[in-house]
Amino acid sequence: MKTDLTLFSRGADAADRPDANRRLLLFGLVSAYTASLVPWAMAQEATDADHGAFLAVSAILVGRQSLDAAHAGRLYAALSADDPEFPAAAKALLELIESRRIDPMQLQQILDDEQSPLKLVPWRIVTAWYMGIVGDGAKARCLAFETALNAEAVSDVLRPPTYAYGAYGSWTRKPT
Amino acid sequence: MNRVPFGHLAAALLLSIVPAVASPAFGADDDQIARGKYLATASDCVACHTAPGGAAMAGGLPLATPVGPIIATNITPSKENGIGNYTLEQFDAALRRGVRADGKHLYPAMPYTAYAQLSDEDVAALYAYFMNEVTPVETSPAKTELPFPFNIRLSMAAWNLLFLDKGPFVPDPSQDDEWNRGAYLVRGAAHCGTCHTPRNLFMAENTSSEMAGGDVGPWHAPNITSDANSGIGGWSVEELVAYMRDGHTAKSQAAGPMAEAIDHSLRFLTDADLKAMAVYLKTVAAVRDKADSQPVFAWGSPSDELASIRGVGLPEDPEAMTGPQLYDAYCATCHQAQGQGSFMGGLPSLVHNTALGRENTNNLVMVILDGLRRQPEVLMPGFARELSDTQIATLGSYLVQHFGNPAAQVTQSQVAALRNGGSATSDLVTLARTALAVGVVAAIVLLGLIILALRRRKTKSITV
Amino acid sequence: MADTLSADFVVVGSGIIGSLVARKLALAGASVIILEAGPRVTRAELVARFRNSTRRSDWMSPYPSVEWAPHPIYQPEPNHHIVQAGPYPYAAEYIRQVGGTTWHWAAHAWRNVPNDFRIKSLYDVGVDWPFGYDDLEPFYQEAEELMGVSGADNTGSPRSQPFPMEPVAEPYAMRRLRERLASDYPVVSNTTARNSRVYDGRPACCGNNSCQPICPIDAQYHGGLSADAAEAAGAQLIPNANVYMLEHDEQGRIAAALYYDPDKASHRVTGKTFIVAANGIESPRLLLLSKSDKFPGGLANSSDMVGRNLMDHPSTSLTFDADEDVWLGRGPQSPSSINTMRDGAFRSEHSPYRLDFTNISRVDGATRSLIAAGVYGSELEKRLRYSAAREMNVKNVLEVLPDPERRITLSSETDSMGIPKPQAHYSIDDYTRKGHERSQQDFRRIAELMGGTNLRFSKEGEFANNQHICGTLSMGNDPKTSVCDQWGRAHDHENLFLAGTAVLPTSSTCNSTENGLAVALRSVAHILGQDGAAARGAATGEARA
Repeated sequence: MKTDLTLFSRGADAADRPDANRRLLLFGLVSAYTASLVPWAMAQEATDADHGAFLAVSAILVGRQSLDAAHAGRLYAALSADDPEFPAAAKALLELIESRRIDPMQLQQILDDEQSPLKLVPWRIVTAWYMGIVGDGAKARCLAFETALNAEAVSDVLRPPTYAYGAYGSWTRKPT
Repeated sequence: MNRVPFGHLAAALLLSIVPAVASPAFGADDDQIARGKYLATASDCVACHTAPGGAAMAGGLPLATPVGPIIATNITPSKENGIGNYTLEQFDAALRRGVRADGKHLYPAMPYTAYAQLSDEDVAALYAYFMNEVTPVETSPAKTELPFPFNIRLSMAAWNLLFLDKGPFVPDPSQDDEWNRGAYLVRGAAHCGTCHTPRNLFMAENTSSEMAGGDVGPWHAPNITSDANSGIGGWSVEELVAYMRDGHTAKSQAAGPMAEAIDHSLRFLTDADLKAMAVYLKTVAAVRDKADSQPVFAWGSPSDELASIRGVGLPEDPEAMTGPQLYDAYCATCHQAQGQGSFMGGLPSLVHNTALGRENTNNLVMVILDGLRRQPEVLMPGFARELSDTQIATLGSYLVQHFGNPAAQVTQSQVAALRNGGSATSDLVTLARTALAVGVVAAIVLLGLIILALRRRKTKSITV
Repeated sequence: MADTLSADFVVVGSGIIGSLVARKLALAGASVIILEAGPRVTRAELVARFRNSTRRSDWMSPYPSVEWAPHPIYQPEPNHHIVQAGPYPYAAEYIRQVGGTTWHWAAHAWRNVPNDFRIKSLYDVGVDWPFGYDDLEPFYQEAEELMGVSGADNTGSPRSQPFPMEPVAEPYAMRRLRERLASDYPVVSNTTARNSRVYDGRPACCGNNSCQPICPIDAQYHGGLSADAAEAAGAQLIPNANVYMLEHDEQGRIAAALYYDPDKASHRVTGKTFIVAANGIESPRLLLLSKSDKFPGGLANSSDMVGRNLMDHPSTSLTFDADEDVWLGRGPQSPSSINTMRDGAFRSEHSPYRLDFTNISRVDGATRSLIAAGVYGSELEKRLRYSAAREMNVKNVLEVLPDPERRITLSSETDSMGIPKPQAHYSIDDYTRKGHERSQQDFRRIAELMGGTNLRFSKEGEFANNQHICGTLSMGNDPKTSVCDQWGRAHDHENLFLAGTAVLPTSSTCNSTENGLAVALRSVAHILGQDGAAARGAATGEARA
């Protein structure tokens, strides 16, 4: 656990950690293009280059201002368990984006048009982060619900279903 | 030395047989009656003197004890069945000295040791209210008939000599009117100490530890001294007023007997009186419980163990459910995934909540078992039917570890004991008073034994 | 042990109707056994299963089918429990577990409007019911008090007593609909079995927005509570008891129910009176399965009407983006609707309908759509928030007329217990399609009044199903065209009663549960002799109307 990146772990501060200097900063692993896409993610730490590539491509694809490091580790492990080629594919996807300076909004279209072997990779990564779900069909499993990014993205206004909005009648107010 | 109590006892005996002087014709005005009604509310007479679903003040509520029920009497002004024939003096004797019109002693399930503080004017106002505005009810509840030796009400006279403060309340000239009003209400009508002040061996309030907390049946009436950590020292006067009026603040939500005290009594008091009570409480000598290294409302932080349960099925055996699984299934819906409560606090946060900050976790267990009810709302359903002792122990431990004082513990045997003591009746005030009555009965037995021993010694000394 | 079971009443099915029928009989002093095919499941398990689900918009995902009592499953792979014979697929969902299908519902608890009982006389379509609104009114009230129904008076169904509760507080999004549609449409609070205050020891709604698949706090009534109430009243409930056959005696009276336990050991339960309340598909399936030499077409089927006249409520819908933030997902899922098209002369031409507004959070669906469309990067969150705040949806709830050709039969395929599967023959006819077409102008007008853009009509020719299975054991006065009389007693068997939505002669425009429950409570009153009619065991009743 301690070797995982922790900068964006809730409540943790990597700078205070004694082993911080043994880690790789994402900044050192990616191109200037990636750094310009997700500058806020550059201080993320990774245990190795593959993991770093997953983090960088995750940051590009989900576009959120913070990613939970422990959760990143779980998603990476689950995606890799489903497909041993996943780490390499994530790295290849990052290289593709960097080398061709692809806008995230154009990415899927390009992969589809080119019949790229990587065309399912962004979908997998974004589904894992945004829905908390890894895998397809009967193999699908839930790794997050309350902390899936689609819940966090609206958490100022909505609670995930099954969570009480509030005391009776609190929902009559105009949402702000 | 041995003789001293006997002298007092004899005096008390004598006193109780002196026939009461008939009061003059009683002329009550509306203001006095209204004042009496307010005081009756503040004194929460209705809580014990009304049976569930029964007529107000007509008695009949049994306070169960192991040796038989103590049954609350009809205190409506019925001449046949109630107190309609009581003179003011007789009414006063019952209220402030625990002595009935027939000279018999009341069991101190009736908090006359607190009512002793009431002023003469307020006793008269209460009398005016009871005689003029309470509807007479012509039913007579069953008589309290405890077996020997518990039926020796006379032993209460001795207890009274030892523990009945001489009233009425004397204002402290070094304090302002507000403080004195608060002290008068807290010590007198509202009888807060009945539950919140610990009791000595004889089940009398231990006045040197005023408001330091006491056990009332399965519930714990917490420390409400001015201590910043254990008591209410960290509460603002406004928060205390809001709590007594509304039953909840961000720091704490009233449950059990306290919820009933608010429902029947405190919420009807004026804000000025509640403020006075708060002002007084904030000056009660601080008593600190060792475990409270920080305020009991300041423990915990939002946290979860969702990573351990998402994508994991529940165990076959429900007893094997983990703390995070139980929290997820039964609590998180309202208190939210990290215990943080709902938007704008409508559903309370478990973090920084006194329910989880005390070393004594009985109230936490009781709330999980019985829920939290306020008239007319069920604010939290109870889970006694759905959760086993093991599950509640697992869940309780998860709760205190994450959101409360991690030194606190919830054990299976504790849950089992509280479940047995906690769900036999739905009337929580009854439970609280029952505990008191049981204790008093025990004290009476103890006193009886002492008296018996003394008498034997005396007898011996005479015959030998 | 189980083989010696016997009771005054044997009820097949522990759903909301079977259980409340059993409760009422038990309270009257009768011995009652309830046989339930599925297992007991706790609310906590269902909540946990939902939160761990990978298909959060599939409300069956917390309710897996079990081997010993399978029910229809469509995702991730269909289990083909209902064999589809066409021409239009009937993708019904229901739950076989203690408490039945109302474990997940939107808790709509509507009464019919009075003319729903007489559509043949008034509009020359469908059939008339064997009794009228006034006959059922006291039982609607009884059903509403049992379930704890909240509602408003302005929905077209007269009442002799007030609702047990005020309508549930109106979500902000519904308020905006009501205000902005006021010029053209009255938007009213739905009549629902949902608490607007503490009722029967259950809390008021806290806006969990998961009425389907599970209300985590029991602020919404469900059949699990009915089953608890039946047991508290003294009924004996046997779970995991999959009834596959009813036996009869020489006189054609029902003698026993045979059930399989999960190991497929067979057990026999005898009784004086049998009540089949196993839902609109499983009830006719059981009667059809109970063939004998004496009754080669199955029980209660001399008319050949068992399983026929299958009805439900098909829906089409419009999704659009409002011109203001309304944030669906705060409060209950289905709070408000328009009820002006439930009745009128047009019923001779096309289906009547209700217009229902959803308040289900758009987050899960919008996330799926956006990811599927390749929306990545910071745009994803931005568009997700936009959809979650702006998307609204209105659907129609269309009446289907009884038609003998729409029916449930037995398939040649068997389920995991070796029992022939139900087979659905379903269609959407012109009457219903015309109703759909008429509603499109309402859809457009509603979107216009809400400043709607990006209008997305459901695919033309596709109708979503609402799981209001009814009609397959229709009641009526004529034994040639109906399965049971107005009291639910099978025309062919003196001691066999049918309860549930299957007995409803028409589907009207409202969710079938309250209609089915009220009719069943009326049947029990008759059985107990509490309706002023013949006492239990006396001659079959005749229509009072």
